Amino acid sequence: MHKVVLIIVIFSLVVALGVIFAGGEKTSVQNVEIKNGVQYITIDAKGGYSPRTSSAKADIPTKLIIKTDGTYDCSASLVIRSIGFQKILPQTGETEIDLGTPKAREPLQGVCGMGMYSFVINFS
Amino acid sequence: MNKYTFHVTGTHCAACKILIEDVLKEQVFIKNAEVNLKKETVEVETDSEQSIEELAEALTSKIKPNGYTLSVVRQGLTTGGKEIIWKAIPIGLAFLVLFFILQKSGILNIGIGGQATPTTSFIIGLIASVSSCLAIVGGLVLSLSAKISQDNVSDTKTFLLFHIGRLVSFALLGGVLGLVGNAIGINFTFTAILGLVASLVMLLLGLNLVGVFKKHKVTLPSNIFNFFRKIEHKTFTPLVIGFGTFFLPCGFTQSMQVVAFSSGSFMSGFLIMFAFALGTLPMLAFLSFGSASFAHGKHAPLFFKSAGVVVIGLGIFALLSGLAGLGIINPLFNI
Repeated sequence: MHKVVLIIVIFSLVVALGVIFAGGEKTSVQNVEIKNGVQYITIDAKGGYSPRTSSAKADIPTKLIIKTDGTYDCSASLVIRSIGFQKILPQTGETEIDLGTPKAREPLQGVCGMGMYSFVINFS
Repeated sequence: MNKYTFHVTGTHCAACKILIEDVLKEQVFIKNAEVNLKKETVEVETDSEQSIEELAEALTSKIKPNGYTLSVVRQGLTTGGKEIIWKAIPIGLAFLVLFFILQKSGILNIGIGGQATPTTSFIIGLIASVSSCLAIVGGLVLSLSAKISQDNVSDTKTFLLFHIGRLVSFALLGGVLGLVGNAIGINFTFTAILGLVASLVMLLLGLNLVGVFKKHKVTLPSNIFNFFRKIEHKTFTPLVIGFGTFFLPCGFTQSMQVVAFSSGSFMSGFLIMFAFALGTLPMLAFLSFGSASFAHGKHAPLFFKSAGVVVIGLGIFALLSGLAGLGIINPLFNI
């Protein structure tokens, strides 16, 4: 009898962990703008990256702007493997990263140094 | 001639059998000794007239330095035996849930603007010590502390050395960063691999604390545990591990390293990193000395198993994150 209670407690804790890990905002914010033929994608880095999923146009010159604001956590150490970018971002400021001309269906993934925060940009 | 069977604790490896048998057979009054690793028992033939309890005590004093104890009654069973794990799993999971809710809540994303001074470094250290960095640095400290206390190594001295090693090396390396003005500690791949090693150590120790290795007698290659046991007793080991935490993957540590090397002088880098390490001290000291006091209390078996569950959880988290950080697997989660 006692064991049944414990199993229920264990089960609900596991579910809680699952919700914590899987949960998160899914809405996409308007963070892409095109100025003078160059596409700018802005992502905030602080306690994770926001927005986590962005959609942008393919086949035009694109720059990624990472904004930090008193960021000391892992999201300040950014790695984007596909373009060989890895850097500790300044604690406060904007970092511009040239993405060249991205192709469609080749999403760009950025991840923080320890790997617990990430973002992805889809091009279409 | 009398024949007694004792329960033995601390047998982690195949080689333990040989060691215990050798030590016991050295005693004049012991005619024969045979260890059964599976049952965790020792069968002893003796011509001693001592009672079984006295004998257990006398023999324990011989093998205690190697981390083994003999008892008449099976230890663990006296305090609940297998029931303990059923209490330990929810306790451990509850800690994990609280920890990750804390991360998710955003409470820790306090903005600290302006110039980093030793004071702000100290505050950042305080935040870092309860942040996701705790998963790797704290997890490692907790697992090592629990293991050390469990193995009855002189734990207070070991923990003091660890924390001193950590404070001193952070300060000195911070000073060096300020002097050189270069990012020596910031090779991503290097820290990520170090992080993977740390998470594997956590998993191994976590499983060991929970008792998986003991129960199913998954005896690891004996030299691994002998190696652990040997380095546990060395003075410089905790110092070196304290030093090593400087390079463990932790966003906060890495940010502070950048602040230190852009600070421009030995003294300012020294102060910034020292203040940061000092900020992380309360939490880490709590983990290590807390383990020690629990380990010597009456809830020790429950504590070890709960700590094991926590450490396994953090180890899995650190391992998956580390693999994602290295680009080996896709990031599975966002905390």
